[in-house]
Amino acid sequence: MAEQKVAERKRPGDGAAPHSELIGATRAESRGLIETWWQEMSEADAEGRPVANVFVMGSIAEILRCFDLPMSFPEITSLQTAVRGKQMEMLVAAEDYGYSPDICGYVKVDVGLHLTGRNHPSGKLPRPALVVSPNTCNTYIKWSEIWERMYGCPVFVLDLPGWRGTGGSVLPGSEEFERDRRYVEGQLRELIALCERITGKTLDLDRLREVMGEVNALAGLYDEVVAENKHHPAPFDAMLDGLNYMGIANAYRGDSRGTAFMRLARDELRERVRLGMGAIPDEKYRLLLIGTACYSHFRRFLELFHSWGGVFAHSEYMSFAGGGIDRGIRYELERPIESMAEQILWSAQQSFSGIFFSQDWQARIVREWDIDGICFHGIKSCRTVSTGLPDEREWQMRTNDIPGLFIQSDLVDARLWSDAQMKNRIDAFFEALASRKAAARR
Amino acid sequence: MLVAGVDVGSTQTKAVVMDGEPKVVGRSLIETGARLTEAAQEAFSLAVVDAGAEERDVASVVGTGYGRYRVEFGETQVTEISCHARGAVFLFPNTTSVLDVGGQDTKAIRVGGDGQVLDFCMNDKCSAGTGRFLGAASQALELPLGDLGPLALTAKNPVKMTTTCTVFAESEILGWLALGRKMEDVLLGVHVAIASRSVSLLRRVGIEPEITFTGGVSRNAAMVKLLEELTDCPINVSEESHYCGAIGASLYALDRALTRAAAGASGGVLP
Repeated sequence: MAEQKVAERKRPGDGAAPHSELIGATRAESRGLIETWWQEMSEADAEGRPVANVFVMGSIAEILRCFDLPMSFPEITSLQTAVRGKQMEMLVAAEDYGYSPDICGYVKVDVGLHLTGRNHPSGKLPRPALVVSPNTCNTYIKWSEIWERMYGCPVFVLDLPGWRGTGGSVLPGSEEFERDRRYVEGQLRELIALCERITGKTLDLDRLREVMGEVNALAGLYDEVVAENKHHPAPFDAMLDGLNYMGIANAYRGDSRGTAFMRLARDELRERVRLGMGAIPDEKYRLLLIGTACYSHFRRFLELFHSWGGVFAHSEYMSFAGGGIDRGIRYELERPIESMAEQILWSAQQSFSGIFFSQDWQARIVREWDIDGICFHGIKSCRTVSTGLPDEREWQMRTNDIPGLFIQSDLVDARLWSDAQMKNRIDAFFEALASRKAAARR
Repeated sequence: MLVAGVDVGSTQTKAVVMDGEPKVVGRSLIETGARLTEAAQEAFSLAVVDAGAEERDVASVVGTGYGRYRVEFGETQVTEISCHARGAVFLFPNTTSVLDVGGQDTKAIRVGGDGQVLDFCMNDKCSAGTGRFLGAASQALELPLGDLGPLALTAKNPVKMTTTCTVFAESEILGWLALGRKMEDVLLGVHVAIASRSVSLLRRVGIEPEITFTGGVSRNAAMVKLLEELTDCPINVSEESHYCGAIGASLYALDRALTRAAAGASGGVLP
């Protein structure tokens, strides 16, 4: 029987057997995978093996995995530090060292961790042997320079063009896109050469195809996971379980364990839909979140919405911080590096545009996921994701009659959280939504 | 039937008793201080006395304001955003926009015909450009709060304030006085700074007549005049504007009392 269950877990959803055991399985699996990831980090540090520091918006895991380079995601480790309530001592350590309170909270928590011996609440943070820094966030490059100064490690900056401020993205098939693609392909080949130098290994193209095949599968499953939340009630909260999906999608990108996890998540969600199980007990309002949560007050942040019956059916976060996998990545394995350049370029452009031209994306999500209102959460220490949010809120209200709430705090800095003021604004938003629903019923 | 609304604001606590007509029949206003529960109870008791009634005659009480959860004798709590919207439409039925400048925050609200909140915006969590800013000016100039508006209206050549930060207000005001500027010119500059900031918030939800101005600062004539100039709209202000939140809360209390009386159960759109 135990073996049968394991088989079901490996290929859930394929059999007709009841899948009640699926309920809760994803969270358990996620905990296990994160523990394993930390174990690998700690072991790499203890053994002095090279580790790459990478970012969620363009990790290039496909190449790094072929060289057996473990990947550390400082955004994820900073987030985890805040959820574990250890972020303030790191922030203070970084500020004592000279970093301004205005600087990205993730950066300062990470700097604090490095300054205080790299002792993360979940394990030992390794020192980087290589940094891969895409230009998908303007802070990434400055952040990478900090490690470069601390450890003397090489920083590979991946310059992804496509910021077409006034005209949107350059479309695949156009001459401009092909030029951009060749430019990115050239950089990927330089990264491969750098990895070969650091590890002493040669790129195995068959391994690369295998990894890229896993990413294809992961991306397809991730899309299916996100789409399950179109159901009523939404089977997961995009800011709670969604965070797990996103975290694993990044940390295990191109790894069969990540693909298996996403399949399990999809199957659990399907089972929850079948059983009519919502993410919260009594769903009344379906919300879209623009921005991130406040991780120093993560439980409270969610509680302020859940207590009104509000569930985050979708979030922009699951899109732009998912490494672009929701943007339809489908690698052509017979021409791996060319295809990788094309897809990374395309997903990066889409993600950039997602931030700067997000109104159409938001309106589509509101329609397809049957959203009642949008919560715009401005992050005090991140202008990149916060710029323009009040304008977007106003635009959605005026143009599409979509109610919007604008609140402000931070990613991780507890000093920027004001509970009474957050609650007041959130309560007022739900009161307005309640009146609106009541008016629609009359 | 009598109902009540208690608005525990950051500076002052207001209570209103209303009859079933509905009409305001009693009111009170006291300083909030540090003991919110006691302030709520005292304001409620005073309003009941003002109505010539007894507390047991009040069928329902709703708390609002930042201290609404300290109205422990209340039946429920509703935010001041919803209450000011409801109260403004009660006072001026054609209201479409509400500006509430309170002691520590400013709210711009777009409302529907029944007082429903269609949209709202609030200042950031710091008190820049709110009533507290006027309080700082009052202290710096050693003038009673009620004198600020009339004196500002006599100004001919207002200074241009560079800040609406309450913390920096005093030093900037003293700086202008040190440069020999007249007190009324400095004061008008202070009012212009707050009015401009309030109007930019109002623009976020859309400026459409009629605009109703509520909250403690609505009693300031200079602010009313500046808002009219900046929005190019007449501004509704009532003798009761200061009580607008409490009036809205009492209307929600009336909803509940009437629903309960009709159906034998608690009700109302809001919890």
